[in-house]
Amino acid sequence: MRLTDKLLRKNISGGRIAGFALSNFIGLLIVAGAVTFYVDSRSIWTDTESFVRSDVMVINKKVTSANTLGGNEAGRFTAEEISELEGQPWVRRTGAFMASDFRVYASVSHGGRGMETAMFFESVPDGFVDGGGSDWHYGEGDTTVPLIISKDYLTLYNFGFAGSAGLPQLSEQLISGIPLQLYLRSEDGERNMRLTGRIVGFSNRINTVLVPESFMRYANSRLGTGSELAPSRLIVDVSSPGDVAIGEFLDAHRWEVAGDKTGSSAAFLLKTVTGTVIAIGAVITLLSLFVLMLSVSLLMEKNRNTIHRLLMLGTPLRQVGAPYRQIIIAGCGAAFVAAMAALAALRGYYLPAIEGLGGGGHGLLWGAVTGLALTAVVVVVNVAAVGKKVRNCLTFNS
Amino acid sequence: MTSRIDTITLDNLLPRVFAQEEMPSSQIWCTDCRIERGGRYLIEAASGGGKSSLASFIIGSRRDYTGTIYFNETDIRTISIDGWQDIRRSRIAYLPQELGLFPELSAIDNIRLKADVGGFDDMAMVERWISMLGLENRRDYPAGRLSIGQQQRVALIRSLCQPYDFILLDEPVSHLDEANNLIAARIVEEDAQRKGAAIITFSVGNPLLIENATKLKL
Repeated sequence: MRLTDKLLRKNISGGRIAGFALSNFIGLLIVAGAVTFYVDSRSIWTDTESFVRSDVMVINKKVTSANTLGGNEAGRFTAEEISELEGQPWVRRTGAFMASDFRVYASVSHGGRGMETAMFFESVPDGFVDGGGSDWHYGEGDTTVPLIISKDYLTLYNFGFAGSAGLPQLSEQLISGIPLQLYLRSEDGERNMRLTGRIVGFSNRINTVLVPESFMRYANSRLGTGSELAPSRLIVDVSSPGDVAIGEFLDAHRWEVAGDKTGSSAAFLLKTVTGTVIAIGAVITLLSLFVLMLSVSLLMEKNRNTIHRLLMLGTPLRQVGAPYRQIIIAGCGAAFVAAMAALAALRGYYLPAIEGLGGGGHGLLWGAVTGLALTAVVVVVNVAAVGKKVRNCLTFNS
Repeated sequence: MTSRIDTITLDNLLPRVFAQEEMPSSQIWCTDCRIERGGRYLIEAASGGGKSSLASFIIGSRRDYTGTIYFNETDIRTISIDGWQDIRRSRIAYLPQELGLFPELSAIDNIRLKADVGGFDDMAMVERWISMLGLENRRDYPAGRLSIGQQQRVALIRSLCQPYDFILLDEPVSHLDEANNLIAARIVEEDAQRKGAAIITFSVGNPLLIENATKLKL
């Protein structure tokens, strides 16, 4: 060890440095742990639905006797209602469902048995449905049209209909492989189209049979009557799913959200809890930053005479600061490594449970990145403080 | 590295603390005074005359003065912190009155530390100085346990362990007998001559016995 280092390390308090390392370790573990857990568990609520993001809701008016008696008009959204909805702070954008203006018959034959049903199509503007990948596309003249159907339909079939009718249950994978024969006919029966439908996905949030908007425009223009109806359902991209203001607004208007709502509330809750935990961890980390700063400052103050004498001999400032920077880097490095090790161990503990629920992923990576970023902040701030203190020991009496 | 310093000019210099006082005549305060590289100067002062203040101003550790100090043509108030460290390592050697030894290091380690910082590697010369000044038996003693006179000799050797254009010696021999004073003077003269440097020594009554020194009254 250099003689200067020997002099400058005098008065080091192992206890204070250990105190810093411990508090920094705890702070890092909490922040990095919260980030890791958040990233790992987020997919439990969000990944089940790859076609429609969790912050997209479908809303419709509650069906009352007035709807039944007053015909279809009572259940439709007027232009004023739509603009009022768009004026809400939690709304990013809205889109209207477009309904098919023609009749749809679908038939399927599987293993010699056939089924036929009348059905309907709806579409929403592009951009609300992401996913389905490259399958979610229809070009004019294509003979195959992709469909996204409500998961509830499959559930109804599998657990309601199939059992009672003696038909086999169908998995999502299986049904995706079966082509649907589609027969589309105009209201007056004079025009028709034959197509193959292919189910590319199931949705919890959109309770309909969804086709690409391009197909809907094409089919409506060929087979439709040309009459445009106001939409009875709206798709809404919201900025904060789970926000209580959303529920209050919808209740006040007697509108309701279709499909699965628990996902968005749980995701909201997860975000809130994670945010709180991260804030607590960040405060502890910040406090540890100051503990280190005070410890090093105190140490340098005790060695002030030595530092001053070394500087008066012409010792370069960076050489005088070096032992203190080494203490900072060693302390922070030890806390970071220990926190990451503890985090990895903790994650090993909860990961099987989370994976059982459909979670998992790159949580540890994000936790480590967060921890590293925090450590970098602590190191940079403290190293800067050392530089300032060394210059301060030169003391110009001006 | 900072370029060579050939002159130190004290232009109308006065410690702030003297600003309100009636000053006796001085060859340094409130005048234009030039100190040349290669020269020998003995600055004599009554105690409290600002002798150590002058040394601190020149070495850049204090700035509480009015007037201007120039190294060549550079106002020293404009020199950066790193510039000062370079000057202290390679242009101006300084032996402060309070010596500034590290009491926990041995005499030889005090010297080694400085030689390290100053890039000085003639340790044979150091050993010669140690024996000339009669410190052989004390070289491994912690500096804090040496007598003041011994500490003064260690600090004197230490101050020589670097390149310099000027060497400032503030009361270097106040605790030495005349024999040691003469030895110290010869060592400093030889080393300064070798380096082409100026000797500036300060004293209130027991000056370093260098020959042919220009006396300046503070």
